Amino acid sequence: MLRLDFNLVLTMINLVVLYLILRKFLFRPLMNIMEQRRTMIADGLQHAEDTKKEAYALKSQYESALGGAKEESTRIIGQAKKDAKAEYDRILDEADQAAGKLIRDARETIDLEKEKTLRDMQSEVAALAVSAAKKMVKQQYGADADQAAYDQFLKEAGDAHDDK
Amino acid sequence: MNCKTVFTIPVFGGIAVDEGVVVTWIIMMVLALLSILFVRNLKVENPGKVQLALESVIEWGENFFKDIIGEENKRYIPWLMTVALYLACANLIGLFGFKPPTKDLNITAGLAIMSMLLIEYSGIHKNGVKHWCGHFAKPVPLVAPIMILEIFIRPLSLCMRLFGNMLGGFVVMELVEQVVPLFVPIPLSFYFDIFDGLLQAYVFVFLTGLFMNEEME
Repeated sequence: MLRLDFNLVLTMINLVVLYLILRKFLFRPLMNIMEQRRTMIADGLQHAEDTKKEAYALKSQYESALGGAKEESTRIIGQAKKDAKAEYDRILDEADQAAGKLIRDARETIDLEKEKTLRDMQSEVAALAVSAAKKMVKQQYGADADQAAYDQFLKEAGDAHDDK
Repeated sequence: MNCKTVFTIPVFGGIAVDEGVVVTWIIMMVLALLSILFVRNLKVENPGKVQLALESVIEWGENFFKDIIGEENKRYIPWLMTVALYLACANLIGLFGFKPPTKDLNITAGLAIMSMLLIEYSGIHKNGVKHWCGHFAKPVPLVAPIMILEIFIRPLSLCMRLFGNMLGGFVVMELVEQVVPLFVPIPLSFYFDIFDGLLQAYVFVFLTGLFMNEEME
């Protein structure tokens, strides 16, 4: 029981052999697999992290692009409004001018017409006066005749004016 | 109680091979066969139930020893786990009708000598021969004899603790079985064979790891 002999050496050899066997068939394969899995998980997490970062970058890019588009659209609308206002003002101006011209033309026409009428009237009056004078001379001489000629003249002239 | 010689190898004037060594061979064979049988078709993804169980056991052992000797010395973990596995099997093999090899002084002495070699090797490997020679004179040169004695005291205590516990348990169990062969040995067997056996296996590798850590500082 309490003796040390060659079995001690055999035990040590046994242990080393057992260690080599277990290392080859048990520890190495299992630890390798576990290591591989750890690496894989770490890689996966890293990949996920990278993807996330990328997504964030894209998102901010899109957001800035969207903001730019909004600004652009606001600018375009503003420009369009300004253009429309200018066009409106221009058209209104033109219309104003056209109306003014029309009115001026009409006035001119009216004035011309008036002048013409006046001239016509004057010539008529002159003619009347001449014809009245002729009549007076032809009919009789004297105050009565003057009076009659005057009345006659007034009557005719007034009639002529009443017509108008 | 005595270690029977199973057979004699007829070289060097006859080498007597004891029971303990033969049982150790049986344990080695079983462990090797089980390893080959179960550690097959390992998968990184979707591991089977057997693989998961094995992995959790190995990982538990790895973490246990990493806590003792540190992450940077994990190269010694397979050896410590081998010893732990062997001791657990050797201490529990009494349940299957074999005599536990660890009640043989030769076996525990062999284990202890391997531990001693490993402890000193780990220290030399980590810090170099110079530091190893120098650490005997620390903290004061006066303690050098004690420090040198410690090289041998550590494995001696490991060896004797394991041997004494296993032999004591074995003897007590044998005596109890002689007196009351029925029922009474069952709870005692739980205590002496299973609990004490696993505890001693744990203590042996735990202390080996602790001494290694001490040496590697």
